[in-house]
Amino acid sequence: MPWWRSFFWKRSREPELDRELRFHIEELTEANLAAGMTPEEARRQAMLEFGGCEQIKEDLRDVHRVAILDRTLANLRAGFRFMRKSPSFSITVILTLALGIGANSAVFSAIDAILLRPLPFPDGDRLMRLAQSNRRIKDPESAVAPVRLEDWNRINSTFQAIAGYYTEDESESSGALPEKLTRALVTPRFLQVLGVSPVLGRDFAPDEERFGGTNAALISDRFWRRRFSADPNAVGKRLRYAGNPITIVGVMPASFLFPERGVDLWSAVPMDAPYGQSRESTWFRVIGRLKPGVTVGQARADLATVQAHLGREYPKTDANLDVSVQPLKETTVGGVRRSLWMLYGSVSLLLLIACTNIAALLLSRAAHRQHEIAIRFSLGASRREVVAQLLTEALLLAVTGAALGLLIAKGAAILFRSAGQYVPRVEEIGLDWRLGLYTLACAVTATLLFALVPAIRATRGGLAGSLAQASRTQVSARNPLQLVLVGVQVALAVTLLAGAGLLVRSFQALGRVAPGFEASHVLTFHVTGNYGETADMKSLTQRIQRTLDSLRSVPGVEATATAATLPGVPTQWGAELKVVEAAMDPSRKIMAESRFVSPGYFETLRIPLLAGQMCRETTGSFNIVVNRSFANTYFAQTSLVGRHLQMPTNGFLPPGEVRGVVGDAREMGINVAPVPTVYWCVSAPMPDPYYLVRTRADPMSMAQTIRRKMHETDPARSVFEIMPLEEQLDDAFAENRLLTVLLGFFALTAVSLASIGLYGMLSYFVSVRRRETGLRLALGALPAQILRHFLLQGLGVTLLGCIAGLGLAAALTRLLAGMLYGVSPSDATTLFGVILMVVALAAVASLVPAFRAARVQPMQVLREE
Amino acid sequence: MPPEKSDLLQGTLDMLILKVVALGPIHGYGVSLRIRQISKEVLQVQQGSLYPALHRLEKRGWIEAEWGESEHGRQARFYKLSARGRKQLAAEEMNWRRLAEAVGLILETAR
Repeated sequence: MPWWRSFFWKRSREPELDRELRFHIEELTEANLAAGMTPEEARRQAMLEFGGCEQIKEDLRDVHRVAILDRTLANLRAGFRFMRKSPSFSITVILTLALGIGANSAVFSAIDAILLRPLPFPDGDRLMRLAQSNRRIKDPESAVAPVRLEDWNRINSTFQAIAGYYTEDESESSGALPEKLTRALVTPRFLQVLGVSPVLGRDFAPDEERFGGTNAALISDRFWRRRFSADPNAVGKRLRYAGNPITIVGVMPASFLFPERGVDLWSAVPMDAPYGQSRESTWFRVIGRLKPGVTVGQARADLATVQAHLGREYPKTDANLDVSVQPLKETTVGGVRRSLWMLYGSVSLLLLIACTNIAALLLSRAAHRQHEIAIRFSLGASRREVVAQLLTEALLLAVTGAALGLLIAKGAAILFRSAGQYVPRVEEIGLDWRLGLYTLACAVTATLLFALVPAIRATRGGLAGSLAQASRTQVSARNPLQLVLVGVQVALAVTLLAGAGLLVRSFQALGRVAPGFEASHVLTFHVTGNYGETADMKSLTQRIQRTLDSLRSVPGVEATATAATLPGVPTQWGAELKVVEAAMDPSRKIMAESRFVSPGYFETLRIPLLAGQMCRETTGSFNIVVNRSFANTYFAQTSLVGRHLQMPTNGFLPPGEVRGVVGDAREMGINVAPVPTVYWCVSAPMPDPYYLVRTRADPMSMAQTIRRKMHETDPARSVFEIMPLEEQLDDAFAENRLLTVLLGFFALTAVSLASIGLYGMLSYFVSVRRRETGLRLALGALPAQILRHFLLQGLGVTLLGCIAGLGLAAALTRLLAGMLYGVSPSDATTLFGVILMVVALAAVASLVPAFRAARVQPMQVLREE
Repeated sequence: MPPEKSDLLQGTLDMLILKVVALGPIHGYGVSLRIRQISKEVLQVQQGSLYPALHRLEKRGWIEAEWGESEHGRQARFYKLSARGRKQLAAEEMNWRRLAEAVGLILETAR
């Protein structure tokens, strides 16, 4: 019977037991009958003779039960004894595993929280993101007009409800100082789609969702605690937001962070507002909740039909639109999936190295334990029992390590939360029973990985084998397994190091890029503003121009500008353009990125004017400047200055006159080469554009001055997100940077582990072969020969490991391809550097034991015999 | 009046069971009967000791159990000796002989 069957003892054996004992009683009864007793008497006597049936059964159960329990307990006791007896070995193993399992669990906790779990909404997997895309624009998703959203919601047959939202930052001025609050403006049905209700108060009433109705807001838990100290009477209180009174009708749960972490309040958008009836408005990001049992494919087909219908009804505005439907979870976390799995891959490699390392350590320790194992065999233990004992010891170490590892994972969760602001769902990472189970599974797997082979080898040959293998032999057997284990460690370390090296080189290459604009000494920030202001574009523009002027007057400020987007921070806004003066040539489509910037943008960022004039802000029409790529790509022969460009897909944007050509700047990201770009000169592309200020001194040193100046200019508004442009650019690569740092850390750990493994293996070889070495020296071998022998053994296995590692790296670094800039995944310099580093470390790790071997005193060795 | 019954040493019971089982497949009731008969009613094994011993021996792999039909046509659990059990029995028999011999010697001399 296999041992694990003992656990199922009761189910499988109980009836059998009954039958066996019953048989005995029946036989006794039979015998009594034969002796001439009456049937009742015979049975009574039989029962009497047999004794307590239940007692016997219990004894029998014990026979089966006690064995496994006893053995496990004994093994555990032996394990603790073993740990006490060899503390330094145990601590090494425990710490190595704590690191390996801890790193693994930490990354798994992130993967579990971010990728594996459904979104934190009821039936979160039924939530979809919907978007419209114009077949003639490269911008993948544009916001949806209120009327179209209502059409989708009304006509479709696959969604329970569809809702939309957008956010804006405005000042709340009911306190002593204005405070910037982020407000999400949401359509009716918003909370219904998400399946969430306020913990306090209520959802919006119909009166609060129509034009001219009451202004109402739901507030976030965070804001509720900050402003109202979690007072339940906050509901019903009034705020003054963007100059208008607004009544708090409810408080949302703390876990509700949609659409983004920083939202302080939610308000309903009147869908019947007269200014919101254009089908060309771009207002809402859209989410929908599928009806139960509906697939994404069905929803896509349904909405395609709906939109085709709308296209026939409104050919001018809707004919070119497609609707995309994607799981909300996918659009939320899809961006970090690759990085997370990559991290997981590298920590798993690390754990594998750690296990290999410990396996080698155990193999070399087996020599010390051979005597003990031999004694156990001679006392009648079976091989299985000895292996079980060795595995129990290992498991004890692994579980201790895993417990420490959980602490590391907990620490990492805190680190994740503080460092990973740009990682979605990062607040959901934490310690829970799933992680506990995972860590335990890690410990068990690790145990099998590092302890099974050494245990089986240590018990090979049973009693005779282990007695014969005593360390008295003059020439020890070659130990290819240990060599293989060290080779594997080197190979895995090389793989990790190659990945980290490539990422580091990619960052170096990125640092050498000339982006076409000067990011240093530029401060960026926002000033609160709301979309209500766009009703009067003239006064909005004047307000922003006034702000720019007053900023310009601050001593130490050299230039100021506003822009809808930041240069070098990835944004896509590509659309087809046409020249007003020329007939549309269908064979030569003009595709270009558009940027909306104030005229001071080029001075502030030091983008040079190459031809024509700088743009000016004019009322009624637009000035345009184009970059060199645009001029060269589409107007290499003819002059462009003075012509008018138009964006046919945007009904709100009047044609603009091209005034000049400026230099190419890497607008779409430092790692993206400049593409044809058109700059529309407008100071107020939106109510709260980015402000860019070129300062003479360190930009952050001006932050307070600017804050004060802004408060003087417009006391009701607040300034927020003040930071240098360089920091913004850094943030754009924060995910890559974090990945690089972590991968680098793992790679260095891996290399250290491999070096320690190599050192340990050679030290063991040297100690085992002391006698042999002594003999050889006595027979005339030179110490240099001995040194070379061991050194070459170390370097040989390292080189083989390197070759295997290069093969592995060639296969795995391809995964990095999209993340690298200016360096190919098979970059020879990087790989050569990695090999050089590993070989150098291996040489150091081998030299120490090799020297020790060469210094063996022959006389002393021979005397020991 | 039957002769006085002797208690058995723990290890001795195991050996006796092995010996009886070695004679051919036999069920628990048969083992108790056979021990009584062969020892001429001197040794009587309590069921409370017999079955735990049988199961212990089975667990150690010295005997193997199989369901079969008894002489009266009932389902009974038959035990038979395994190869390892045969070795064990030989070892125990030898031990016992030496022990008995030694004890005998002492008793003879001390007479």
